[in-house]
Amino acid sequence: MTLTDHRTQTETDHRPQTEYQAAPPEVPIRQSRERKNQVAFVILVVVCAILFLPVLWLFLTALKTPQQLASDPITWIPTQPQVQNFIEATMVLPFWAYAANSLFLSTVTGVLTTISSALVGYGFARLHGKGKKVLFGILIAMMMTPPIITLIPTYLLFAKVGLVGTYWPWVLWGMAGAPYLIFLYRQFFAQLPRELEEAAILDGCGRLRIFLQIFLPLSKPVVITAFVLSFNGVWGDFIAPQLLLNQDNTTLAVAITTGYVNSQGFPVNNLLAAGAVLYVLPVLIMFFFVQRSYVNGFATSGMK
Amino acid sequence: MSTQSLARDVRRRKRRGVTGGSGAFYAFISPWLIGTVLLTLFPLGYALWISFTNWDGIAPNQNWIGLKNYTDALSDPRMWASLQRTGLLALAIVPITICGGLGLALLLNEKVHFRTGLRMLVYLPAIVPPVAATLTWKLLFDRDSGAINGVLAIFGADAVSWMSGNTVFVVLLVVMLWGIGAGVLINLAALQDVPAELHEAARLDGANAFMAFWHVTLPSISPVLLFQVITTTIGVLQTFVPALLLSPANGPAAITAVPEANRIFMVDVYAQYFAYSKYGYASAMLWLFFLVILLVTIITFKIGGRTVFYAVDPSKEGKEG
Repeated sequence: MTLTDHRTQTETDHRPQTEYQAAPPEVPIRQSRERKNQVAFVILVVVCAILFLPVLWLFLTALKTPQQLASDPITWIPTQPQVQNFIEATMVLPFWAYAANSLFLSTVTGVLTTISSALVGYGFARLHGKGKKVLFGILIAMMMTPPIITLIPTYLLFAKVGLVGTYWPWVLWGMAGAPYLIFLYRQFFAQLPRELEEAAILDGCGRLRIFLQIFLPLSKPVVITAFVLSFNGVWGDFIAPQLLLNQDNTTLAVAITTGYVNSQGFPVNNLLAAGAVLYVLPVLIMFFFVQRSYVNGFATSGMK
Repeated sequence: MSTQSLARDVRRRKRRGVTGGSGAFYAFISPWLIGTVLLTLFPLGYALWISFTNWDGIAPNQNWIGLKNYTDALSDPRMWASLQRTGLLALAIVPITICGGLGLALLLNEKVHFRTGLRMLVYLPAIVPPVAATLTWKLLFDRDSGAINGVLAIFGADAVSWMSGNTVFVVLLVVMLWGIGAGVLINLAALQDVPAELHEAARLDGANAFMAFWHVTLPSISPVLLFQVITTTIGVLQTFVPALLLSPANGPAAITAVPEANRIFMVDVYAQYFAYSKYGYASAMLWLFFLVILLVTIITFKIGGRTVFYAVDPSKEGKEG
């Protein structure tokens, strides 16, 4: 499936039906099929407008002056957009340092999770071992286990071994893979034909080489999906950095929630909005660029 | 050698373990296996052990107090109140998200103008990180500068202090409902897989659009819907970050300043740990909650399993059809 058109096949499949419809000639029927659904369009436009307005408001707030934020009645559209708010938002707190922390943690975890999940997914899809069924059941159970339940006790244990305040927990989480992504890979690898590895096995290829040279290159859409999901997961995560990291090495997600306050401790909403926009932007840009593969990754993995 | 004899040879070798027996399998899954034991099962066990003690998080020794934390929790009206609030949140969010997500997918599956753009717009809020989503709605619901009170003012209504009192629960609901498009991609993929000839047959039998949806589309995509009901329910039950960030206070004070209307279960657990240092009691609450979520998941599976329609073999069915 892609976000673009895929009704073409259905359309052609419909055509033989015209034989049964005796009275009206073929042309009007085909015209009615070609016609776009206006009612659906109108409803969708209204829903999309409602869903998009908050994003618009975030932008507008980011462009306002403190006076406009305090005005009564409220200022809807800032007359002189304060573009410099975006620059100021990166200066009242070490924005770029936090962004670098977020980028580093998200990339490291993303890469590690993507690789380890692929390895494990391959194992479940193409290899056999004692207790595989039970282990796969455990994997499914882990998919259903709320991460927040395990996070707090994991934090307590990390504190005991002195890993609090370091980035090692993210490395460990990355290496362990993510159950959901393992499942995606497993579904994808399981549907590939047996012949793919049979010849390689006869040639004496090791399992790791088969995985790296045959299976991994084939799973590009899933790789992209896995990376985007795990990258965004870490970029968007609030609780783990809040619990595990300090003021000086935490991520942007934590920093923007506490960084934009005045000396009395009240939030400075225009800078807060500007900071939030800058924080969300990479996620949106990334999604925009990879959405096709991303969607394919879902579609080809039997997540349906 | 012909391909068939090659394949036979491979199969024979595999039986003899030439292609790797359990060893290769365990080598490949070891990252996850070790990770699950160390980072999931062990912490869960650790929390279970703490839940039988009166540990305060600092003392070097933990005193075993048996089931006291559990009996305390079960007789604590505050615990029941937060459990009830969490249940209410799920009862409000899950049906709307599932039905709304399906409705949007059905509309997006129609031939409409700018379909690709509309799909991206519907999905957009679902990829906004929870922190940013909560901050955005906090600005919209701001008492003095927010758009919501701005609209109310146009109709002559007084400004509402959304962030205090019971109204903050409304804000929490709205933040969570904003992600209604999250299921749209999976729903669309499922809708593409509904065999066209089934619809064809329904039409020929004189079924109208609604009947075709009810008797053909819905049964075909029901496994996907069940999956979504379960993941959405688990997701809503463990809600924490939006409730915390809607607190009027900032930083470490935020957790205890969460208005009562938003004191859902994980807020309570977090406060018991880190604001009140009742690690034993909080761990007992955590485990009770884990069991509740497990129970809800099993019940949903049981009820859903009866209503869900599975094709003979979903994976093969799709390809042949």
